[in-house]
Amino acid sequence: MNGRHENPPDELAKWEVQVRKGGLGLAVLAVLWPERLYGLEILRRLESQAGMSIPEGTIYPLLSRMKADGLVDSEWVEAEAGHPRKYYSLTDPGRRRVREMAHSWRAFAKGLERLLGPLEGDLS
Amino acid sequence: MSDDAGMAHLDCYLEQVRRNLKSLPKSEVEEIAAELRSHVLDRVEGAPTPHRVEEAIAALGNPREVARLNLTERVAVELERDRSPLTVLRGIARLAGLSLYGFFAGLVSFTGYVLAAGFLITAVSKLVSRTHAGLWRWPDGKGGYGFVFGVTNHPGARELLGWWLVPVSLAAALLLGWLTWRFGIFSVRHMRRVAQRGRA
Repeated sequence: MNGRHENPPDELAKWEVQVRKGGLGLAVLAVLWPERLYGLEILRRLESQAGMSIPEGTIYPLLSRMKADGLVDSEWVEAEAGHPRKYYSLTDPGRRRVREMAHSWRAFAKGLERLLGPLEGDLS
Repeated sequence: MSDDAGMAHLDCYLEQVRRNLKSLPKSEVEEIAAELRSHVLDRVEGAPTPHRVEEAIAALGNPREVARLNLTERVAVELERDRSPLTVLRGIARLAGLSLYGFFAGLVSFTGYVLAAGFLITAVSKLVSRTHAGLWRWPDGKGGYGFVFGVTNHPGARELLGWWLVPVSLAAALLLGWLTWRFGIFSVRHMRRVAQRGRA
């Protein structure tokens, strides 16, 4: 028997991970749109505003890549908390990128919503 | 006293992360360690008891995982900007200490480039000294033959390829160099995927 069919919740969890991964870049850039934030703030806002709970260790490599790509900038700031914090902010190319990504995401989501229309009654 | 123990625990964790990142430039290692330190201190909200520090560290991941994520991401970014064989080899060398696969990829890359260089040197040697570089064969005295590709002074050895050695060696050097280069790029991507999957 095929293991794939024996444990559908695992398959669903894998699919959810892929969807989350796909949207993570946009989510991180979007959360930086209004103001500069430090790593833990980014994680907390992703969780509270979008219900996205991601492993904490993954956020810094992602931010480092975004910095290397010129989408975000960072600076160390002496915080009132008594230790320095590294704040991230969007650069101009980062702002352009998040607009483009948001546009694509909305078009994709709208199309998917149309496809899911017939399921409406079954989902409630 | 309790907070001191928590801070000591954090310092120990960061030291292990540093050890796993030693193939990166020191300034980058310190930047990563400083940011992780800041993250943990924010998470414990001014009360770095051993228990709270442990919780914060557990959420980040073990030092090896954290180092692996940071290192593979940095190497992958470098390769996206510059895919020259030297950059790929340097990237592979940086990842070699991270896992068994990293070590294997390092070994294969090193061997591949050494063999490619060997073929190249053989081709050049043939142009410089026709009589010494080639595909040599000689009777081994037991009814069979001994072979060597390159340079030999074996008595009774006969060269088989002649000037064909030059294009054959150049083609082998190019093919082997290209395959090793592609394998290096594949390996970096593979190790990055594995590191991300481990923390998904």
